[in-house]
Parts: sequence; structure tokens; C-alpha cells
Amino acid sequence: MTWNRRTFLGTGAAVVAAPHVLAEGQGKPRVVVIGGGAGGATAARYIAKDSEGMIDVTLIEPTRTYFSCFFSNLYLGGFKAIDDIGHTYGALAAAHGINVVHDWAVDVDRAGRTVTLAGGGVLGYDKLILSPGIDFVDGAVEGWDISAQNRMPHAYKAGSQTELLKAQIAAMPEGGTYAMVAPPNPYRCPPGPYERISMVAHVLKASNPTAKIIVADPKPKFSKMALFEEGWANHYPGMIDWIGEEFGGGNVSVDPGAMTLTIDGDETAVDVCNVIPAMKAGRIAEIAGVTDGNWAPVNAADMSSKADPDVHVLGDASQQGDMPKSAFSANSQAKACANAVRGALTGSKVFSPRYSNTCWSLIAAGDGVKVGATYEATEEKIARVDGFISQPGESAELRQATYEESEGWYAGIIADMFG
Amino acid sequence: MRRAGFALTALATALAGSPVTGNEAPSLDPAILAIEGDAEWGAYLAGECLTCHRADGLAEGIPRITGWEPDDFVTAMHAYKQNWRTHPIMQMVAGRLSDEEIAALAAYFKDLE
Ligand SMILES: Cc1cc2nc3c(=O)[nH]c(=O)nc-3n(C[C@H](O)[C@H](O)[C@H](O)COP(=O)(O)OP(=O)(O)OC[C@H]3O[C@@H](n4cnc5c(N)ncnc54)[C@H](O)[C@@H]3O)c2cc1C
Repeated sequence: MTWNRRTFLGTGAAVVAAPHVLAEGQGKPRVVVIGGGAGGATAARYIAKDSEGMIDVTLIEPTRTYFSCFFSNLYLGGFKAIDDIGHTYGALAAAHGINVVHDWAVDVDRAGRTVTLAGGGVLGYDKLILSPGIDFVDGAVEGWDISAQNRMPHAYKAGSQTELLKAQIAAMPEGGTYAMVAPPNPYRCPPGPYERISMVAHVLKASNPTAKIIVADPKPKFSKMALFEEGWANHYPGMIDWIGEEFGGGNVSVDPGAMTLTIDGDETAVDVCNVIPAMKAGRIAEIAGVTDGNWAPVNAADMSSKADPDVHVLGDASQQGDMPKSAFSANSQAKACANAVRGALTGSKVFSPRYSNTCWSLIAAGDGVKVGATYEATEEKIARVDGFISQPGESAELRQATYEESEGWYAGIIADMFG
Repeated sequence: MRRAGFALTALATALAGSPVTGNEAPSLDPAILAIEGDAEWGAYLAGECLTCHRADGLAEGIPRITGWEPDDFVTAMHAYKQNWRTHPIMQMVAGRLSDEEIAALAAYFKDLE
């Protein structure tokens, strides 16, 4: 659809006339973005920047400081300070004119095209973009629920949870046990749990070298497995015990009160228990009625919801095909979506989407690895075209260069989201 | 500035370190350098670059790609496309860019900063 005054008055008038709708700049098409993370902040920024004032962009995000999950493992490993991974929304408001609303979206009325905020406000939209990240599946790990997350942190939404986990690792008794309950597929950041294990081992090797690490994993294999296994054997011999599906790694329960983990009937006392439950799309996607099962199916060409062409779903919450749930993917999807949304609302040129992803992981100081791929939109899904992965046995120089590159990527994507 | 194909060797070596040995000597049809890039298209395509490379030209760990002479930019991208420059991400990214897309990117990045 090309935006013009007639379509605005025709379809938008009723919404604008409703008394409680908070529409400033009436007359311009309105985009509301829910979630200011890798997908949402990028989409809001690109739409605002490229439309040069022709589109009203509102970004709804409850937190004033976004602590990125990406590089949060490096914080656990002591390579970053917590402030290094915290980012604010000031430039999006000041440099790009985005209306940044620090609140929760609690309801979406797709028929009336409005979003309701926890604070009571209601925002009308012409296009809605959802990028709420993940929530956890209820009852996914027996004995664990959100009330137990202080004793057994997930640290899979970064910030206070990550700080808590780091403090718990530092407080482990000599020779103590760190346990992780790894999540089933699909989940955010496929190499994330294993990079975390590497960073925890890095810290313990220096501070508590007789400590043990146990991973209970419901999967038979995991992302970059050969690279991690090689790295663990080289850097942390004998420290890490990975218990995969074959040995009952998926049959677990926890007792947060007693601090025990039971794997396939064997109960173990643990000092830290990092429970990463099964995941689903952020709850607001379900409330908006765009999910099917745990995730929100989208069209590969523009990330529009299969349930509603005026709603787009980005990043971890979306079910798009072959791309992993990563910040890189969310950022890539956001640009294709921003281009399509801007085209629909202002008539600007719409180009075919370009999707790509690379995920770097740090195994030990200066030992970086990466995996990446390009993707294209097909009728059915976002489909992988081509890819590469670091190889076991690479030189220390190459691994160091890969690590330095990941630092560059982090600075780059943060500038692309918040700059 | 017009470059013939042989310039690629010098540039590939100068800018990327070791080219893959055993590859055929790279060649770049002068017609490729003559393609007029569409900067608007380049602006869209640049989104893929800007997840890592910075629009403000700062470079830490990842090279600067703003403000390049278009011929140098095009030559470097074709050096990746032909696997003369060895970086796996760049080979993958450049590998699927058409000659016109590379020209469009060059036209866009030349005026940034
Ligand atoms: C330990 C770890 C390491 C990782 N490492 C990497 C890495 O190296 N590289 C990489 O590419 N990716 C990495 N990731 C994955 C990456 O963090 C996610 O894939 C990415 O953040 C997804 O972006 P998103 O926009 O979908 O969600 P998010 O970035 O999580 O953003 C969602 C936002 O929505 C907000 N929100 C939720 N609900 C509402 C609501 N109702 N109203 C308003 N706002 C709402 C949240 O507050 C949040 O800020 C890692 C993840 C983890 C956990």
C-alpha cells in the first residue's frame, strides 16, 4: 500500500478520533515497535532515520538500560564490566526523533490497531513491529519456576540475573560444583550456553581450580561442538562434564531449596545451578495472537506475521526458518522489515531482503571461534544459502584475530542499534 | 582513476595480507569498474555491512569501509569474491553480491564521512 492522505483519513480516522489514543503528529503514518533489543531498536532506528520524519516511530521498552545478552558471557568471564554491556536509548530519541516510551506493552488490539501500555496509555498504529525476545516455557524444568530464579538463575535475559550468576560463581566453595541445565532447541543463541561454560571454566581455573562443572543437556549435540570440546580439553582438562541426551541429560529435576540437581535419577548437591529452561516467544506475541505454538510464524520476504500483514515479528520471537536466534539475525531481519514497512507507508522503494548471521564465541582468553551463514527468502521460509565455521586446530594468531573481530562486531552492532 | 585487472594483485596483497596460494591470478574486467553504482540501492544493501562495520568510520577489530575510492572498494570486494582475499565472512558476503550490487555499495560508502 502506498500511503497518501486519502488512505490515512479513510482507515485511520476512527482510530485517531478515539479519545484515549496518544497520537502526536497526526497525519503521519505511525509505526509502533514493541521491544528495544536487537530487533526492535534496529527497526525503529532504520525506519526513523531513513524516512526522515515522514513516519512517526514509537519504541516501547520497559528498561532504561538494555543489557545485551551478547557479550554477557564475556562479563561472566571477566573480560567485560557490566557497564560495557549496558546501553541507553537517548540517541534514538534525540538524534532520530523516536518516541521512546519506557513501559510494558500489555495488550494489542489488532482489529482496532492499538497497543495498550501497563501505565494505561493506548497507542494507535498503522504498522506494528514485535521484537519482545523470549520468555520461558512454564514447567520446562521440574522443580524450577520464576520464583526460584534467585537461587537458580537463568541469566538468559541479561542484567541483574547475570550479575547474580557472576556473584554466585565467585562465592563457590573451593572444589565446589557449578551446574548448568541447558535448554532444548530452538532457543536464543545456540552456542550461548557453551560459551558460558567456557567463560565459567576460565574464571574457575584461575580462582578455584579444583571446582567442577556439570552440564545436563537434553540435546545429543550442540552448536560448534567440536570446537568447544577441543577448547575445553586444551584449556580446562578434566573440569567439564557434559551429559548429553544419551546419558539422561534431558531427564532432570532441581530442588532450589536443597540446592540439588537430579540427572536421570542421580541426585547431586551443587553450589551454583544455572537453569536455562525451554523458551518461547515473548509473551506479548502470544497476547497479540500471532503465535502458533511457542513462536510467531512470519513471511520470509518481510518478516510480516502469517496472521496479520500489518504486524511484523522480529528476532527470537519469530519462526522464520533457518536463521539461528541471535542478535545478528534479529538486526539483519530488522533492516529487511524496516525497508518493507517504510515502502508500504511512504511509497519508498522496497528491495529484496538480505539476511545473514555470524556468531562469535570466546573459549578462553584470545581463543575466539565463529560460525556464519547467508540466507534468502523463499516462499516457504528464510533458507540457508552458504556458510562457514572455524576449524579445530586453527593457529593461535587466527583465534586471536577472530576474537578481536568479535569486539569490532559488538561495537558495530551496538552503533547500528543505538547510535 | 581507472585500474586494469592486474592492479587487483597488488591491492589484494596490500590490503589483505596473504592471498590464497594456488588460485588463478585474479582478473577484473574494466567494464566492472565502469559500472555506475546506484547509491540508493547501496544504502539499503549497506545494512548488511553495518552490522559489523561502522557507519561513523570508527574501526576497532573490523576495518573501516567508509570514504573509500569506488575503484578500490570494487576491487577489494571482487578480490573476496574470487577468493583472493581470505576472510571467510567477507568471501561469503561478497560471494553473493552481483557486480551491480558491489558498484552500488561503492557509490554509497564513498560519501559516508
Ligand atoms: C548468554 C547469551 C549470549 C549471546 N551471545 C550472542 C552473540 O554473541 N551474538 C549474537 O548475535 N547473539 C547472541 N545472543 C542472542 C541475542 O541476545 C538474542 O538473539 C537477541 O537479543 C534477540 O533480539 P530480540 O530483539 O529478539 O530480543 P531482545 O534483544 O531480548 O529484546 C527484546 C526486548 O523486548 C522487551 N520487551 C519484552 N516484552 C515486552 C513488552 N511486553 N513490552 C515492551 N517491551 C518488551 C525486553 O525488555 C527486551 O529489551 C546471546 C544470548 C545469550 C542469552
